[in-house]
Amino acid sequence: MRGFLKLALLSTACAVCSCPASAQTLKLGVLATLSGAGTAWGMAMQGAAELAAEDVNGKGGLEVGGKKYKIEVVAYDDHYKAADALTAFNRVVFDDGIKYVVGPLGSAPALALLPVSTENKVITMTMAFTPKALSAEYKYSFRPVIPSDVFSDPQIKWVAQKLGAKRIGGLFPNDESGQQVGAANEAAYQAVGAKFVAKEFFERERVDFVPLLTRVLAQNIDAFELNGNSPQTAGLLVKQLRELGFKGPIIRTGGDATADLLKIAGKEATENVYVHQPINAESPAIQEYTKRFEAKYKVPLNAFSPFFYANVQMTFAAMQKAGTVTDTDKVREAMLGLKDFETVLGKVNWIGEAQWKSNQQLDAPFYVALLKGGAPQVVAKCTPKLCE
Amino acid sequence: MDYSILLAQAALNGLVIGAMYMLMAVGFTLVFGIMRVVNFAHGEFYMLGAFTGFFTYVHWEMPFVVCLAIAALTSGVLGMLVERTLIQPFRSDEMSGMIATLAISVIIQNGAVMLWGPVPRAMPDIVTGTLTIGPFSFSWSRLVVIAAAALIFIAFWLFMQRTRLGRAMRAVAQDTETALIQGIRVNYIYPLAFGMSVALAALAGALMGPVFSVSPFVGLTPMLKAFVVVILGGLGSVPGAVVGGLMLGMIESFTATMFGSLVSDILQLLLVILILLVRPAGLLGQREA
Amino acid sequence: MEGQVASAVGQGGSRLAARRRFLPGVAIAALLAAALALPQLTANQFYVHLANLILLNSIFAVSLGLIATVGQISLGHAAFVAAGAYISALAALSFKLPPILGIVLAGLVMGLAAVLLGKILLRLRGVYFVLVTFLAGQVFTLVVLNWESVTHGANGLIGIPAISLFGFPLSTRLRFYYFALAAFVLVVTFVWALMRSQYGRAFRSIAENIRLAESSGIDVSHYQVVAFALGSGIAGAAGAAMVHYVRFLSPDSFTFHDSVAYITMLVVGGRHSMIGGVLGALFLTPLPELLRGFVGAQHIIYGAILLAVLMFIPNGLVSVGKSLLAKVTDTEGPE
Repeated sequence: MRGFLKLALLSTACAVCSCPASAQTLKLGVLATLSGAGTAWGMAMQGAAELAAEDVNGKGGLEVGGKKYKIEVVAYDDHYKAADALTAFNRVVFDDGIKYVVGPLGSAPALALLPVSTENKVITMTMAFTPKALSAEYKYSFRPVIPSDVFSDPQIKWVAQKLGAKRIGGLFPNDESGQQVGAANEAAYQAVGAKFVAKEFFERERVDFVPLLTRVLAQNIDAFELNGNSPQTAGLLVKQLRELGFKGPIIRTGGDATADLLKIAGKEATENVYVHQPINAESPAIQEYTKRFEAKYKVPLNAFSPFFYANVQMTFAAMQKAGTVTDTDKVREAMLGLKDFETVLGKVNWIGEAQWKSNQQLDAPFYVALLKGGAPQVVAKCTPKLCE
Repeated sequence: MDYSILLAQAALNGLVIGAMYMLMAVGFTLVFGIMRVVNFAHGEFYMLGAFTGFFTYVHWEMPFVVCLAIAALTSGVLGMLVERTLIQPFRSDEMSGMIATLAISVIIQNGAVMLWGPVPRAMPDIVTGTLTIGPFSFSWSRLVVIAAAALIFIAFWLFMQRTRLGRAMRAVAQDTETALIQGIRVNYIYPLAFGMSVALAALAGALMGPVFSVSPFVGLTPMLKAFVVVILGGLGSVPGAVVGGLMLGMIESFTATMFGSLVSDILQLLLVILILLVRPAGLLGQREA
Repeated sequence: MEGQVASAVGQGGSRLAARRRFLPGVAIAALLAAALALPQLTANQFYVHLANLILLNSIFAVSLGLIATVGQISLGHAAFVAAGAYISALAALSFKLPPILGIVLAGLVMGLAAVLLGKILLRLRGVYFVLVTFLAGQVFTLVVLNWESVTHGANGLIGIPAISLFGFPLSTRLRFYYFALAAFVLVVTFVWALMRSQYGRAFRSIAENIRLAESSGIDVSHYQVVAFALGSGIAGAAGAAMVHYVRFLSPDSFTFHDSVAYITMLVVGGRHSMIGGVLGALFLTPLPELLRGFVGAQHIIYGAILLAVLMFIPNGLVSVGKSLLAKVTDTEGPE
């Protein structure tokens, strides 16, 4: 029973010394998947938080209400398991006393955490595509990334019309994100007169898709949808599709996976692949951010990163506007009041009232690109309404 | 796409994964047959083999055959060390030995994550292009896997049947006490068998690297499949592992192509549970005395 | 626990023996008092959360230990936990069954399921039983993942209600702590009493030498099924309790990794003792949290600790405790 005593001692000590964020340090939490399949996204989020913190600390700290705060980033890995995310979040909120969190990543962790974050008035910047992540009851939940709910309709409409594709095939992971995205995609294609004739689900860890792809190809599809598969899976799908002799267009109506597509499938296989591009890789602001990120982390930039970077910057601006770092209600109000905020993505706003009764979804332009000779070329610019 | 192409494709794919399962299962069953150890870390040696293949082929640009040899040797030696230091203490306690291998697998996997990062690496195909026979097209890289696995197994089989060491191993597997009486140095056989077993796993990993990619987490599924195959074929039976491996590969490929992967996974597991209940010794295994 | 310590410590003088008989009782009372007072010592809710996890994990490990008393190790224990959780969660969500009844229901259903399954699975022994329970656990996970109409598949179930006792909801960590503590005490007492009874004696003789037990007339399969059913039933009920605390459930919540974790706790704590599971849970549950700073090295240290315990303290932490206790109470000679 020594452990119990130790625990008792520890808790007494902590209650006595009770460590809230010191007057000079403001902690920014990161709760994401830092190991396993979702790592590319997790690192994008952590990097964004750290770079934004660096910016502000480099200037001597964030000045709010007459005091200067040094930003400290505290990161936790949730292994993409809702239970681990919950435990980590408990720690973030109760042990570290953090009120601003970049995360969670993934719909399952998000759904498990949101009741806790709302109860404790913790502002979260989440990467979860499920529509349940934003609602009138989750007042403190913001979503900086553009979910498939928002971008798939205009993108699919444009691509399907351009290609004249009628029979679509696709593979979806059998988890929250996969099921979500699958349903959204199917509806979007139907709206433009195309039909999902082959829809297969697979276990998240699977790497051998040849039997499933063979099954899909047997339906004589015009085009293949990569949708919400993880970047690595998407790369393997493209590679294995081409190995099976499929020469038709492949469409990625899902999060950014371009770097992995090129790395895993190679230049030749990725010809005739249409991708969703959340950012314009040609804009100087993005190129500068990319260089900075890749120099520091030595991995290719995942396009979700600038969105979190922007959101953190907006949070800082909101704190300054509200004049407080502890009253998250005021910070939230201030954040929602930011209009046409200038970021590396361009000017951004908050939308979402109509869809989810909460306008805490970031609105930024996005793009459709075609992979040619190993590089993405923007072929259309989009808003939530349409692409052209 | 008509039925014949579908079937041919499914058959080829079945052979490819069957070949990989066979290599994994043979090593796994060897260790169980000789040492009664259920090696939960088996999959991690597959992963190490994949990484070794990746680094030697992509970074050092050596000919692939050399890469395979290096993968086998490094894993084999590591395996022998692991057996001597970490598994030998549990020779009399099967359960603890099993849990120890579990701990070892955790250490190896996370060590790999620390050393090489969690992001998967893409390994280029050894041979590019496709072989086209009439309406069928098969990728060369997958055909190469089948051929290589067959060769490796033949080499292993000859070793076990024709060499003194191989015969000694089989003797120990059959009856340790008698083997001891015959003067066979059991204390040398054990690490050697373990090393060989994981070397086979490493070869499987290196061969499949270009097909399935390389990351610290690739070892899990091959190990689970090895379990399944070994139960199917019989714990301790090498012919059982071969037959079981190829069978499972075919079953998996065909059921996945016909019914989708989810149904396929459940069917495989149910099949194996049925075998365990009806004939626990598996298809070709020995009845436990 | 009393009986074990008394016999383990051997025949001392009657005065010594009397002192020893009091010692465990006093110790238990002191611990209980400490446990009750614990949450008052800390405002930090995270530690209360951790304590809740420890209590739940202890129950999982002890229930697994119950199955281990007949010499069978189940590598599919998490499946029973998960099944219990799903039963109670679905009952609460679809039929508005009060969670406290859901917990009881989960325990009964899982116990019954274990009886039926046990009659088939327990024909296998040793490694084969381990493997078949492993596979059964995998099948269960796949079924839960795919039976979307009932379980909502990967999306999981949200908004699961908290336990409500006489209209008083256990919706905070602190309130749940007392409930978990009570459940823990209940389970441990039950298992202790069981092991002291005729059942316990039968279990132990089966574990020691199954053939001998058979030939001395003990109905081995009957007792094995009983142990399996009780252990799985308790696990199911505990799973249900946990789900009304976390209030979210998905196929990811209890997987093979958790089965492995329970076995690890049992082994590290001490396979052959009733409180082994408790010690293991106590030691291992906070460990990943303490090591969270060293992301990456954290898992390696976990694995290394497990290996070290296996190699150097094979009978688990309990044996360390026993030898310390022996030194403290002045036994003659080694254990």
